[in-house]
Amino acid sequence: MSGTSRAQLCFLLLSVTALRGHARFLDIQDNDISPEGLLSLLNSELKRELPEEFVYRRALRCLDMVAVEGQFTFTAERPQLNCAVFFIGEPSDIISIEYDSVNIDCRGGDFIKVFDGWVMKGEKFPSTQDHPLPLYERYSDYCETGVTRPIVRSSQNVAMLFFRLHQSGSSFTVTFRKLINPFPCNVVSQTPEGSFTMIIPQQHRNCSFSIIYPVEIQIGELSLGQHNDLRRSILGCAGSGDFVELLGGNGMDTSKMYPMADLCYSFNGPAQMKVGCDNTVVRMVSSGKFVNRVSFQYRLLGHQELQQMKGNSVEDVCLRA
Amino acid sequence: MKLNFLVTTVALLVAFPPPYECRAIESSSNQQATDPDGERQSPPVLARLGEEYFIRLGNRNQNSPRSPADSFPETSQYSKRALQLQLTQRLLEGKVGNIGRLDGNYALRALDSVERERRSEEPPISLDLTFHLLREVLEMARAEQMAQQAHSNRKMMEIFGK
Repeated sequence: MSGTSRAQLCFLLLSVTALRGHARFLDIQDNDISPEGLLSLLNSELKRELPEEFVYRRALRCLDMVAVEGQFTFTAERPQLNCAVFFIGEPSDIISIEYDSVNIDCRGGDFIKVFDGWVMKGEKFPSTQDHPLPLYERYSDYCETGVTRPIVRSSQNVAMLFFRLHQSGSSFTVTFRKLINPFPCNVVSQTPEGSFTMIIPQQHRNCSFSIIYPVEIQIGELSLGQHNDLRRSILGCAGSGDFVELLGGNGMDTSKMYPMADLCYSFNGPAQMKVGCDNTVVRMVSSGKFVNRVSFQYRLLGHQELQQMKGNSVEDVCLRA
Repeated sequence: MKLNFLVTTVALLVAFPPPYECRAIESSSNQQATDPDGERQSPPVLARLGEEYFIRLGNRNQNSPRSPADSFPETSQYSKRALQLQLTQRLLEGKVGNIGRLDGNYALRALDSVERERRSEEPPISLDLTFHLLREVLEMARAEQMAQQAHSNRKMMEIFGK
């Protein structure tokens, strides 16, 4: 290959990788792109491999929450029969869990299972209505598929690991990574305060943004693809294929939460509401015919605000104002 | 002869378990060294439930007498201890962190350590955790994330500075 052709090919590949966001993996030494570096650009499974000294490592606890990428090892010093680890990323992340080394006795009753979502007291997030997979497919058992499928990916920014180890000395190591999700749908917020814009681009799906704190929500902009129809005002949002609802409850399952408000008309300008529940959710239902978007901010309710809401409320459900 | 004696002992222990599992565990932990401030390490009740996280918070026995040195603790230690006591109390009441709920009595499984239970047909679909504790572990994870980010930034600056 002549020098000119090679330079042109390099430039073409460089442009393509820049557009795909993989240019950071180029390895340029001595002002010359190596053939290996060129060929690696064609690999769609590029991983964000860090040098060994930059990989974060620590031991896992029986009950744990992990928000930082790295390698995590659990070693059973005694039988551990009921352990769970929560994984969480940024709203625009999905989670990848890779089994690095596993030393358990599957036949002896040990197991490691990854759940696509969070489950607490029998309630799952996302709910079965909002998740693309049926419930049985959301569990991934290492003892059944771990060897052939060592990498498990979530559908949203949260996942869980359940494990049971009978023997002292049993152990396993997993690598936790976060991958980019360009259109996040179901999200659990890491923080009690923040802002988010949820976009459903012509997809027939339901998306929920869950905040596990009592918060005040301020919706800044709502854009639903349908035209405003005054006749609908009598029926509310019933029958509307595209709407946003505010939910409050004391569990993780959005299908079991109380509707605090629903919005089925586009508008600009802040509309705010205080929801004094353990879990506050902004849920968008989309028919798939339109591009729907909702932008909102949220902040933690103070103790005094909650007390005031409690004093003003006559209902037994979560407090709202 | 020795084997027969061992088998007989195991059979008697299985047939007549100690009335209070806590007491049996307490008697073994009494032999451990006490803390420098004079308080005993509480029995590993939390460990039995597999919740190592709560042991790391502190394992003070709420029934043990407090030494005079602890009469006026610092505010942060006091609030932390109050949280620990609250967690321990609620744990013992079974309201919090009872992730073994679906598996029944943990103590019986400890006695059956010789037998291996078959892998459960049903997946462990749930974890009994309150939102309060979920937020606690979430905030710990966030603190860890920020600390790690600061550490990574420091490393990067050291590399760029060379």
